[in-house]
Order: sequence, then C-alpha cells, then structure tokens
Amino acid sequence: MPTGLDSLEHIVVLMMENRSFDHMLGSLTDVNPQIDGITDQLSNPDTTGSPVKPQPLAEFQGQLDPDPDHHFPAVDLQIFGGDTTPNRVANMQGFVKSYFNQRRDVGHSQKIMYHFKQADLPVLTTLALQFAVFNRWFASIPGPTICNRAFAHYGTSFGRVDMNPFDVIEPFKSIYSRLINATPKHTSKVYYYDTTSSTMEVVNLLQNEPQLFGTYQQFLSDCAKGLLPDYSFVEPNYNDHETDSGEEVASDQHPDHDVQAGELLIAEVYMALKNSPLWPNTALLVVYDEHGGIYDHVVPPACAKDKFSAPANSTGTGVEFDFDRLGVRVPAILISPWIPKGTVVNRVFDHASIPATVTKFFLGDYSQVSPREMNADIFIEPQGQAVDPARNLLSLSTMRTDCPEFNV
Amino acid sequence: MSVIQVPRPSKNAMNPDRPVNALLLAQVEHLQHAERRLPLRYRSEIYTHAIKTEGEAAVYIREVTEAIHKAHADAAALRAKRARRPKKEFEIAAAAERPSPKRSSRANKDSSAAARRKK
Repeated sequence: MPTGLDSLEHIVVLMMENRSFDHMLGSLTDVNPQIDGITDQLSNPDTTGSPVKPQPLAEFQGQLDPDPDHHFPAVDLQIFGGDTTPNRVANMQGFVKSYFNQRRDVGHSQKIMYHFKQADLPVLTTLALQFAVFNRWFASIPGPTICNRAFAHYGTSFGRVDMNPFDVIEPFKSIYSRLINATPKHTSKVYYYDTTSSTMEVVNLLQNEPQLFGTYQQFLSDCAKGLLPDYSFVEPNYNDHETDSGEEVASDQHPDHDVQAGELLIAEVYMALKNSPLWPNTALLVVYDEHGGIYDHVVPPACAKDKFSAPANSTGTGVEFDFDRLGVRVPAILISPWIPKGTVVNRVFDHASIPATVTKFFLGDYSQVSPREMNADIFIEPQGQAVDPARNLLSLSTMRTDCPEFNV
Repeated sequence: MSVIQVPRPSKNAMNPDRPVNALLLAQVEHLQHAERRLPLRYRSEIYTHAIKTEGEAAVYIREVTEAIHKAHADAAALRAKRARRPKKEFEIAAAAERPSPKRSSRANKDSSAAARRKK
C-alpha cells in the first residue's frame, strides 16, 4: 500500500542555534514517557560538590549571561566531567563546572541545568508531540556552530573543531552542489533571513556560489506559489537589526536572543508549508546545530571516524580528535502530514544524516561522501525500492487532516 | 484542532547594542576573509576590530554580503556582454578573409600581373 513517502518531493531543513534537547524538550517526558527527557534522577555537581537537579526555570532571555561556552575544550569538560585520563568514561557531569568557569558564581552556574516548561514553548513542544521527535539526534561534533553546520552542508567539517574559516577539500562537495550538478539536475537553495543576517557558510558557499542563496521572504513566497526547490536549507535571523520595514529581532535562539522570537519563526515556517500547495509533498526537519553548552543527560555515542583528524594543537585539549564521538544531543523534529501523531524515533542521527538522507533520496547511489556521512543513518527512506516499514517515518497511507495550526 | 496562540517576543527583546557574541564575531571574520578577495571597489570601509555590538556587526555583515552578490552579478553581466562581442568580431574577420567575387577576380588579375612584372 502506498504511503506518504511515495508523495514526497521536497525536503526542507530549518537549523536553529545552541539549545540542548533536555533544555527545550525535556519537559515532555511527563506527557509522553517514550520521550527521553528530564527525570528526578538527573543532576550535575556544582563546584562545591552539591548535586544540582534540572529545574523548569529557564527564561526566554537574560538568564544565560554570559553565553555558555560550547567550544571543544568546554564541551569535553561537560561530557567527561573533567576526567582527562586516556580510558575515561563519559558521564555528562561537567555542565555546572563548565559554566562556573565563566563567571565564578556558584548560584549562577546552576542555571545551566534549567529547562523550559511545555507551556513556555507551545510551538516546538506541539510539533514534537504531533509529529516525529528524535530521542537520539546529536550534534556532529562536541564543539561549536561552524563545524557542526559544516556537517549539515558537506557531511564533514574537514578536520575542524573550531570556528575558523575552512576550505572545502575534494571530493566532498556540498549537498547543494551535488544536487544542482546531477544528471538529471535537481534544485536546491539556502534561504538566509536577509543580507543583514546572511549565512554562516560564507567562505565557501556564499563566496563561490551566491546564486544558491535566497531570502526568507523568498522562501515564504516560494511556499505560497508552490515553487520550493527539491531541497531547501533555512537559516534563522542571527542578529537584531533595523530594516526599512521595522525591527527584526534575532530568531535563532542563540543565547542571549529571545527564545520566543525563535518559536515565532518555527511557527511561521511550519505554517508557510502547511498552507502551501506543496504540503502533501514536503517534509520539514527542525533541528538545532549544537547544545550551546546547556545541560543534556544522554551520553553522546561513539561513531565511525572521519577521514580527517583535528590535531592536538587545534582541539584546545592537547589531544587529537578523530571525529569518532558525536556531540551533545539536540532537539530534532520531522514534520509531515504523513507522519503518525506521537512518533518517537530512537535510532542515532547527527547532522551528517542530512546530506546522507537528501543525497540518497534524490540521487540514489553517490560515493563521493565522507566516512562520517557514509555511516550516518538516514531519516527519510529512498523511494523506488523496498521500504522497511519500521524505518519509514512517512508511514501513513492517508494524509492527516488534524495537523496543528498556529496563529502567526 | 483549535489554533494555538504563539506569544510574541517582548518589546525589550530587540537590542542592537548587545555585546557581539562569539558566533557573530566568527561570521564577521569569515566575511572579512571573503572581503579580502574582493576588488577594492567592493570593499567596505569598516574596521572589523572595532565591532563591539550586535548592531555594528549587522552593518558589516550586510555590506559585505551584498558586495559579494554585486561582484558576482557584475562579473556575470560582463561575461554576458563579452559573449555577445566575439561573434561580431569573428564575423568581421571572416568577412575580411573571404574575398568578394568581384574583388577576388580583380585581385587575382593584379597579383598575376605583379608576379609577371617581377619575373
């Protein structure tokens, strides 16, 4: 029997900033116990040795100041609790200690354990409960934004764990290049919010292929007119700025930007697709690039090594990194009117899953991918071949008519 | 299902004077990396080391992003203009190579006469 997968023609990814799974969706364990979020057993020691439990006291803005450290050495501390010995075991016990390092304030450091209540995030939590939420989607590396976003574009960060410009190394092309240079040709676009927000993929994509880019307004228009490309990557607004039409509040949810502005963006993107003639043929992935230094309780698993290594003098820890461990868990939700309500996915994914999925779906066999991408699981099964029903998230044979609606 | 209300951000959410965060500073650095490869006429006059606020970063980000787009657009326009020109030049050159029927018989007579005189 055909399922929604047979109707799929467009994939859209919206990648937000710097919030962990427990921080944003941890409260949902109380609503759906299958969702692996906050429980009473969780804690982190502060610098006095006292256990600090997660609490539903997160605020939309002004609380996580300074911005929690999420560079490689800090995340190493967060994951391993300060253990730097060779045979160490990850324990997710270093978050409060890590945050203490920034302001030397015991009380303030405990706020890294705060999370949002369900009612605080009506958009994200509704989408998580109504569609498919991933219990095990991790950042690609235990580090910051630029290299994690690189995995979403290229399936690798070319050996980088820092925020510096990097060069693309052949033969690992961006997912966009693969699609537009394929035979037959496919279409792809990166929609940044506007030129004042721009993109985080400047040095390679914007500098060399600016024709790939459109604006958020164009995205909304393309949704309304049914003109979305095969694959779209949407970036939020990364900074507060004025425009001719008024104030544009940053919507990426990166601390200390207002989380509610990001909720509004997610709702707008969802509603633009839901109201689009392409809604029956589109899947939307809402995902976060990394955890932003904020607490999560799930130990990131080991993974296949990449072709590249980060040398010891570039990691900040004095130890080489072979890209054989994922980063901290992040919220990830797949949305489509063909996904059963309340779907919870327990397979392991990271951002390399994005180019892996899009490539296999639109191009089929394609070998010029990084080892990390080759080993990444995919979240949408390819069409045209026998589909394992246990893996197909777009499994309904009748399109839902009860999808949520937000006032935007 | 009833429509779910989405609260709007507070009026105080907007703050372009907020100290610039590490992500925006990285973005500025990446744009500066790209700006250095632009011809001088496209470059900003912004000293990036002086960027301290989100609003200041936003100004630079916009200027360089638009400059990159403009540089590519200008190159594409020039390419299109050049693509039209060579055909015309080749046609003129080809025409010069092809002697006209009248000219060619007269040219042949003249050149034959000149050759005979040399002998």
